[in-house]
Amino acid sequence: MPKLTIDSREIEVAPGATVLEAARKLGLEIPTLCHLDGFEPSTSCFVCVVKLKGKPGLVPSCATIATDGMEIESETDEVRDARKMALELLLSDHLGDCIGPCHAVCPAHMNIPLMIRQIAAGRLRDAVVTVKEHIPLPSVLGRICPAPCEKGCRRGQHDAPVSICLLKRFVGDADLAAPEPWLPERKASTGKRVAIIGAGPAGLSAAWYLLQDGHAVTLHDDHEKPGGMLQYAVPEDKLPRAALDAEIAAIAKLGAELRLGSRVESIAQLRDEFDAILVAAGELRPGDAGRLGLPASKTGVEADKATLATPVEGVFAAGGAIRPQKMAVRSVADGKAVAASIDCFLSGSPHASRVTRHDFSTHIGKLRDGEMTAFLAEASAAPRVEPAGGASAGFTGAEAREEALRCLHCDCRKPGACRLRRWSAAFGASPSRFKADRRTFVQHRQHGLILYEPGKCIRCGLCIQLCARAREELGLTFIGRGFDVVVGVPFDRPLAEGLRRVAAECAAACPTGALALRQGEDA
Amino acid sequence: MSAPDLTFVEQVIERIGRGPEKVIPILQAIQAHCRYLPEDALRRVCETTEITPAAIMGVSTFYTQFRHRPMGDHLIRVCVGTACHVKGAGLVHDAFVRHLTIAEGDDTDPDRLFTVQKIACLGCCTLAPVVQIDEVTYGHLTPDRVPAVLRDFLELDKTGEQKHWADRPAGGAGDGAEIRIGLGSCCIARGSGKVEHALQQALAHSGVRARIKRVGCVGMCHQTPLVEIVRPGHATALYAQVQPEDAEAIVLRHFAPRSLGRRLKVAAGKLLDRLFTDAAWAPVTRYSLDVREPHVAAFLGPQKHLAVEHCGEMDPTDLDEYLAHHGFHALRDCVTGRRPEDIIEEVRRSGLRGRGGAGFLTGLKWARVREVPGEKKHIVCNGDEGDPGAFMDRMLLESYPYRVLEGMIIGAFAVGADEGTLYIREEYPLAVRRVREALRVLAERGFLGENILGSGFSLRLHIMEGAGAFVCGEETALLASIEGKRGMPRLRPPYPAERGLWGKPTLINNVETYSLVPWILRHGADAFAAIGTPTSKGTKVFALAGKVARGGLIEVPMGISIREVVEQVGGGVGQAPPCTGLPATARREERRFKAVQIGGPSGGCLPASMGDVPVDFEALTGAGAIMGSGGLVVLDDRDCMVDIAHYFLEFTQNQSCGRCTFCRIGTRRMLDILERLRNGEGKKGDIEELEHLAAMVKKGSLCGLGKTAPNPVLTTIRYFRDEYEAHIAGRCPAGRCKALIKYVVTDDCIGCTLCAQHCPVEAIAMTPYEKHEIDAEKCIRCGTCKALCPTNAIKVE
Repeated sequence: MPKLTIDSREIEVAPGATVLEAARKLGLEIPTLCHLDGFEPSTSCFVCVVKLKGKPGLVPSCATIATDGMEIESETDEVRDARKMALELLLSDHLGDCIGPCHAVCPAHMNIPLMIRQIAAGRLRDAVVTVKEHIPLPSVLGRICPAPCEKGCRRGQHDAPVSICLLKRFVGDADLAAPEPWLPERKASTGKRVAIIGAGPAGLSAAWYLLQDGHAVTLHDDHEKPGGMLQYAVPEDKLPRAALDAEIAAIAKLGAELRLGSRVESIAQLRDEFDAILVAAGELRPGDAGRLGLPASKTGVEADKATLATPVEGVFAAGGAIRPQKMAVRSVADGKAVAASIDCFLSGSPHASRVTRHDFSTHIGKLRDGEMTAFLAEASAAPRVEPAGGASAGFTGAEAREEALRCLHCDCRKPGACRLRRWSAAFGASPSRFKADRRTFVQHRQHGLILYEPGKCIRCGLCIQLCARAREELGLTFIGRGFDVVVGVPFDRPLAEGLRRVAAECAAACPTGALALRQGEDA
Repeated sequence: MSAPDLTFVEQVIERIGRGPEKVIPILQAIQAHCRYLPEDALRRVCETTEITPAAIMGVSTFYTQFRHRPMGDHLIRVCVGTACHVKGAGLVHDAFVRHLTIAEGDDTDPDRLFTVQKIACLGCCTLAPVVQIDEVTYGHLTPDRVPAVLRDFLELDKTGEQKHWADRPAGGAGDGAEIRIGLGSCCIARGSGKVEHALQQALAHSGVRARIKRVGCVGMCHQTPLVEIVRPGHATALYAQVQPEDAEAIVLRHFAPRSLGRRLKVAAGKLLDRLFTDAAWAPVTRYSLDVREPHVAAFLGPQKHLAVEHCGEMDPTDLDEYLAHHGFHALRDCVTGRRPEDIIEEVRRSGLRGRGGAGFLTGLKWARVREVPGEKKHIVCNGDEGDPGAFMDRMLLESYPYRVLEGMIIGAFAVGADEGTLYIREEYPLAVRRVREALRVLAERGFLGENILGSGFSLRLHIMEGAGAFVCGEETALLASIEGKRGMPRLRPPYPAERGLWGKPTLINNVETYSLVPWILRHGADAFAAIGTPTSKGTKVFALAGKVARGGLIEVPMGISIREVVEQVGGGVGQAPPCTGLPATARREERRFKAVQIGGPSGGCLPASMGDVPVDFEALTGAGAIMGSGGLVVLDDRDCMVDIAHYFLEFTQNQSCGRCTFCRIGTRRMLDILERLRNGEGKKGDIEELEHLAAMVKKGSLCGLGKTAPNPVLTTIRYFRDEYEAHIAGRCPAGRCKALIKYVVTDDCIGCTLCAQHCPVEAIAMTPYEKHEIDAEKCIRCGTCKALCPTNAIKVE
């Protein structure tokens, strides 16, 4: 029984076991892409490299047989750098969008394509959940948002972008009109109390998420009504107050306490009653920060960019209080981000200083001539739907579904299971580290069950092994060599002929979104 | 279209076999028949053998030999090996493409007459730049000669005058008199086949009795074709650069015709013959050489011939002659009187290290294969010499097939192998033919097969032709290739000694390594160990090429300095080669020895200032290069080091099997940066980024190809960083990178219009007696004008 050490920890394994298996036995997770238990090691991705003492270079742990007395290092800077660079090299040749461009540009990071597919499928309740995971005020924003998402929409390159903003409004309105509008679950009470100064978009948004985390929330506002700028600055014809009031009511229903018409003079007055304080009072006048007892910056209250924490312990700031905001959606996004940060602070989490504001994603960018065809293949060819009742009326159910079918589904079908994405995010790998000419986007759509996007393939060959094992008549094979090698069906036959038996298995084994089920991961 | 006749496919399969491992030979046979791989034929193979569609597609697209599109009637292979590259092969390739109006993305002209391909190395480095059209080789090409070459080829093709000179039986009986003619690939490429033919005619005409004997490579490739007259009782005479029309004069000078009538007839015939002489080659001066002449002495002086012992004396295919030169003494000794352990000990004590590149101790490897338990063991000879700029193995296999085989048989006996394979590049057809013939003869004479020399030891040897994948020089990839797979290296351990071919213990050594074994066993370990340095024993064969006066195949003792090799053996870079077939512009500028590229794509560039570095495994590695397989390309001041780094990296990048991320994509990203530098788009930080990437590619690649691919980049940065910096600043100091230079006409121009006539893109206006102007917009920087200008009035800025 060979005995070896990994990061100075001793472990004994069965003869023939790999270093990767030994690490697992120690409870260490070494990242892998091309490895699959029960298959020949591909030794392709090199993300699982470790340092074997006494040997120059690094070795792939997935194929290195553990031997007696071996000394392995898996957590050194050298190893981490190599893993990160392997990921970055793979990313430099990875053609696809993990998340749709609309999603990527949405300040609130809402999963727009998912919402659209849920609308198209008539699953409105699911669509509300998708929306409210990021935007507690969809009916409001659906009326006033300048919709940067639509500028990002890939369909815009073809005819006109999908009418995302109106679809979101449709979801919000439909929910408000429901007999019992959706309310999220609240976690068990933490016993912590948070004071929020300002009941505008940032404060309301923060309240919504803090409540879900199990904290008690009190919103303080010196106006008679909640809503801040939304209540007092936006014209009624653009934003009927009924929609605003209804969405605020939902937040109140979730448990927010509103203290209106009373001005907070200083944070000191809230200290005794509350465990954390959030300044979300919108744009401040000069001297306001000092009056509250907070250090000021050029634009408002000084706050850490990542955590939104002010230098004063337990006090946070968000939205226009930090810097003037032009878009309400940014304040809403800030509200969610600061809620996460406050939650970390209150629970004493070690990651209190990390607020993930962006999901990891690669980007194709602008499509080239001819590339749109693949995307258009299954989308409705109809032009952008204009609401019959005019913009102020919004979409009817039928219109919304019709418009939703125009979505190109250009986001990845495997954003959750993709190991390249997972480890790239974990290692902070940058998709733009290497500048390179990109390949042409190709999508094979002939198969009923799965889609194949060669641009996302990392050439690990697991699918080829699967086909050979299943004795697929044609199966898949490597075609070409070196940088230009691709996985394809022999004799250039359609994918459906190559994969008659193990298509679903291949999609499951594929470490990226190259081979994926057509239906994707949408629940 | 009617269904194609596929009966030949059935015949091929019948002949070769149906096992999955037969895929490469079957594909080669189909390609030999159709000149490409028709899909119908491949499907038929899958239907009637155990080869799957996935395997046949995977394999046929991995190896560059195979094509899936029909080919033109003739194949033009433009060698882009190192020596050819530094002498402008890229421009020659472009000239063919331009002249044949081949469309972008295609490789065949619209009339489907010629297909143009780049080939990694034809192994005729001393003739650089070289192009092979079907079986005819043209050397010392320049872009402006391309139309003439094509005309010449089509003429030859019409007369059918070009096939397999080396395969016809050698002729002529003699009274002990011999006319020796070198018939290595270089010699044949330079027309020695025609010279042999002319000599035979001359003998027939004159009635002189002398034996024409084909000998292997003489090593003096810069002087080919070489003819040597050996007569008992007379001094030996050596003629260099002999042309067919010289044959008769040579014969008559040394041998008197037998009758007066004959003499007269000869004189008359000579006149006639002159008229019909093929004059495809630029006229050259004929040299009579003598070994006592200083430059021959300088070339041969520092050399020590072990692997190429008796060079230029023996007919490569004549077993009796090999036997007469102590051939198979060592084998007889071994199989009849020595214990395998003792043989291995002798090899170990000699200090012999593998000549394939890595330099592992041969004796230790043999001992390991012997130790590993197993009924069945294999032996493999690695002849997949793929380094551009290296042709040692080709020469050894062509000229000394028996010696290589003797070493291999001894190896098999020592480790206990009873079956073996010689893996030889398909680009070396002559080597394959000679080895195949040698195997046949050896089996016939009892040196191979059952019960060798009555010893009870049996060995069967096969030839496997590589299919065009440099990575197959890596031993695990080579073994995969023999097994009929894509040539993908795998992680070692286990080493082939433990788990090799078909999972059995396998001894795998390089051609040169085997060829040294008989000498060692004949002379003893001590004699071998007495040559060389403390850690590098014996000799090393190098292919000396590039900007050097006397290129060729040389064998030098380990420990000799680079400078001695370049300046003494090679004659330095300063003087022009005596004949290169270049236009007679004569006035050549004095050149300066700048660097030597040693070890090919895995090696590095050492600057002239490091000329004292000895040929020694450790010393070369320490300097950033490697011994490698023995390519040694000399560079002068007109070679751009960024371009050289780009050249090698492009090669390895192109040859990467594609398995590992760092090699597949990392080398590509390095190449991207080098391309930007060459295009004048470099920016600050690029050099550091290159270094960083290079370090990572070295660390994170599975096999030797990836681990060493960054070496040419790293050494050029290490020794010529200023050139990289100059490129970032928008200058190419050597005047090589097209985007950074322009051609201008100086006041020396006499308005002769020669350049204007030959400019392939009409960038020079036809203005007789006026100073010409080059339109920089139209100019493609092919250098034709500069090469042609009689007054050297064209300058690169």
